[in-house]
Amino acid sequence: MNQSKLIALLGIVLVVVLTVSSTVYTVDERERVIVVRLGEVLRYDDAPGVHLKLPFLDTLRYFDSRVLTMDADAQPFLTQEKKYVLVDSYVKWRIQDPLKYFLTVGGSESGARQRLEQLTNSGLRDEVNKRPVKSVVSTDRAKIMQIVTAAADAEARKFGIEVVDVRLQRVDLPDEVSQSVYQRMKAERSRIANELRAQGAEAAEKIRAEAERKREIMLADAYRKGESMRGEGDARATAIYGAAAGKAPEFYSLYRSLNAYKESFRKKDDIMIVDPSADFFRYMKKPSR
Amino acid sequence: MAWNEPGSSGDKDPWGRRKSAGGSDLDQIVRRLQQKLAGLFGGRKGGGGGGDLGGGRASGIGAGLIVTVALAVWLLSGFYIVQQGERGVVLRFGKQAEVTEVGLRWHLPLPLEKVEKVNVEKVSTIEIGYRSNLRSGGKTKVPKEALMLTEDENIIEIEFAVQYKIKDATEFLFQVRDQETTITQATESAVREVVGRSSLDYVFENRKNVELGVKEQLQKILDSYRVGVLIQAVEMQRAQPPEEVKAAFDDAVRAREDRERLKNEAEAYANDVIPRARGAAARMLQEAEGYKASTVARAEGDARRFSAIAGEYVKAPGVTRERLYIETMEQVYSNTTKIFVDQKAGNNLLYLPLDKLVRGAMEAGPVTATPPLLSDAAEAVPPLKSGATGGSRSRTDQRKRTNTP
Repeated sequence: MNQSKLIALLGIVLVVVLTVSSTVYTVDERERVIVVRLGEVLRYDDAPGVHLKLPFLDTLRYFDSRVLTMDADAQPFLTQEKKYVLVDSYVKWRIQDPLKYFLTVGGSESGARQRLEQLTNSGLRDEVNKRPVKSVVSTDRAKIMQIVTAAADAEARKFGIEVVDVRLQRVDLPDEVSQSVYQRMKAERSRIANELRAQGAEAAEKIRAEAERKREIMLADAYRKGESMRGEGDARATAIYGAAAGKAPEFYSLYRSLNAYKESFRKKDDIMIVDPSADFFRYMKKPSR
Repeated sequence: MAWNEPGSSGDKDPWGRRKSAGGSDLDQIVRRLQQKLAGLFGGRKGGGGGGDLGGGRASGIGAGLIVTVALAVWLLSGFYIVQQGERGVVLRFGKQAEVTEVGLRWHLPLPLEKVEKVNVEKVSTIEIGYRSNLRSGGKTKVPKEALMLTEDENIIEIEFAVQYKIKDATEFLFQVRDQETTITQATESAVREVVGRSSLDYVFENRKNVELGVKEQLQKILDSYRVGVLIQAVEMQRAQPPEEVKAAFDDAVRAREDRERLKNEAEAYANDVIPRARGAAARMLQEAEGYKASTVARAEGDARRFSAIAGEYVKAPGVTRERLYIETMEQVYSNTTKIFVDQKAGNNLLYLPLDKLVRGAMEAGPVTATPPLLSDAAEAVPPLKSGATGGSRSRTDQRKRTNTP
């Protein structure tokens, strides 16, 4: 009796648990759910929270509602000038329509990734093909991303996928091209280095030349001033001598000559060969005239 | 990773551990419950409504207690602590119910509610182009990430560090899967986009602008994904030319310094030359001025002296003339070396060793050389007087004598 009551109680508990677990389900903030009743999709837009379903008849398929990533491998694409660039891109996407997604991709993420890779690759290839390397790397980078995102998004909607963003992660040159880029960079730098050094030499030469010019001008100016000053002095002196000598010209020439003799013969190594007949010696021969 | 870090789910929660411990207790409790229940039901049946048996009552109380304790444990398992800087996001049946802040909190116990905690203060770092090794403190390069193309199709090596923190816990939890990978990818893309539209030299010279550009671009991208993070800083750790061309770049840098050096050297030369020239010019002027003044002064002096003499000369011209002449000649002859030659005698054989005479005069001593004379004069030469003063006079006398036949 007691035993059967216990069994009954346990049975009730079991039934309750089973019923609850097969009729009540929760949807997380990060999930989308498709409710399938006997193979037919019943609904797919349950909000996060708790929901009810028919036990056993209804089955659930869960999908991630967050933004997901498809990281493509780097692909070589030809540019307009027939150069290869390695383009590494990634796609941010989310399941926008779980029903379509479920029906077209079968609900597997790897399948969706494959589709997305195909879509973005062809879009990127087209855009890169149209442009030279410089545009791909620089000017049109944002534009390419926009165009490819828009195109991929439009295409992916068919699979219930929203493409949030297609971004070029890396755009690199293949190794052998990189080497020639390095060569060019080296050449460019040595050109700059030479230019800089030549500029230095130019500036230095200019500075030196200017300094020398200034020096020459300064010295020549000083010479001019100096000589004219000396000339003035000489002129004044001449005038003074002239004024003095003019009073007694004959005596001046005697006086000046005698002074000059004194000045001229004043050293021991000035040797004079003297003729005794000179007037100076007249008294040496005989004391009277 | 700590149990309360972003990304970790609730099953690492110590409360969860506590719950599982409670569960094992429950097993025991259930076993005991089964035993008690048998007694309980039996007692009720047998004893009727009023007079309960002591044992039955006791087991009833025991069962009630156990149920109460179990319920209490279950309810207590809803307690959790939100640490400083954390947010607790409470999910009720998977739906976001509330966001709680620091302190002791309680949620409806599992499976009704669960909590996910996110640290919104912690600043995380993402490294692009290198990985720092925490253990050795060194860095490992990741060239694949670091090497990138610039606008002028050069290759540059850049290392970036990005610091971010979670600004919106619910966005961070619910909007994007693989948040960290997403941030890394977006960073790389943003860096390359910004560097891709800058020239090589621009990147070297405007690091701050590049950092700022990357930060803005990155925030824009991440906001469009609604990752719920805030980029705090983008730091360019290193920007340099790749290893292959480093030497050439270094040389260009040196060349720039060489240019400055050459200029400075020239400036130094100019700074040396010009003041010296200025000095030399000043000296020339001063000398000229000195010359002028001295010339004039001398002329004046000479003129005055002459005028004075000329005044006296007029009074006795003949005598003065004679006197001046003789005085002058006296001075002249006394100072110089003289050789007395009577030309009228027509002495053809006269030989004067001038060079020796000059040398002798220079030595200012007695002339030791034998006078080069006629043969008959030789015995008439007395020994020369020594002495500097008398030397020249005696010599002249002697010569006069010997040379005169």
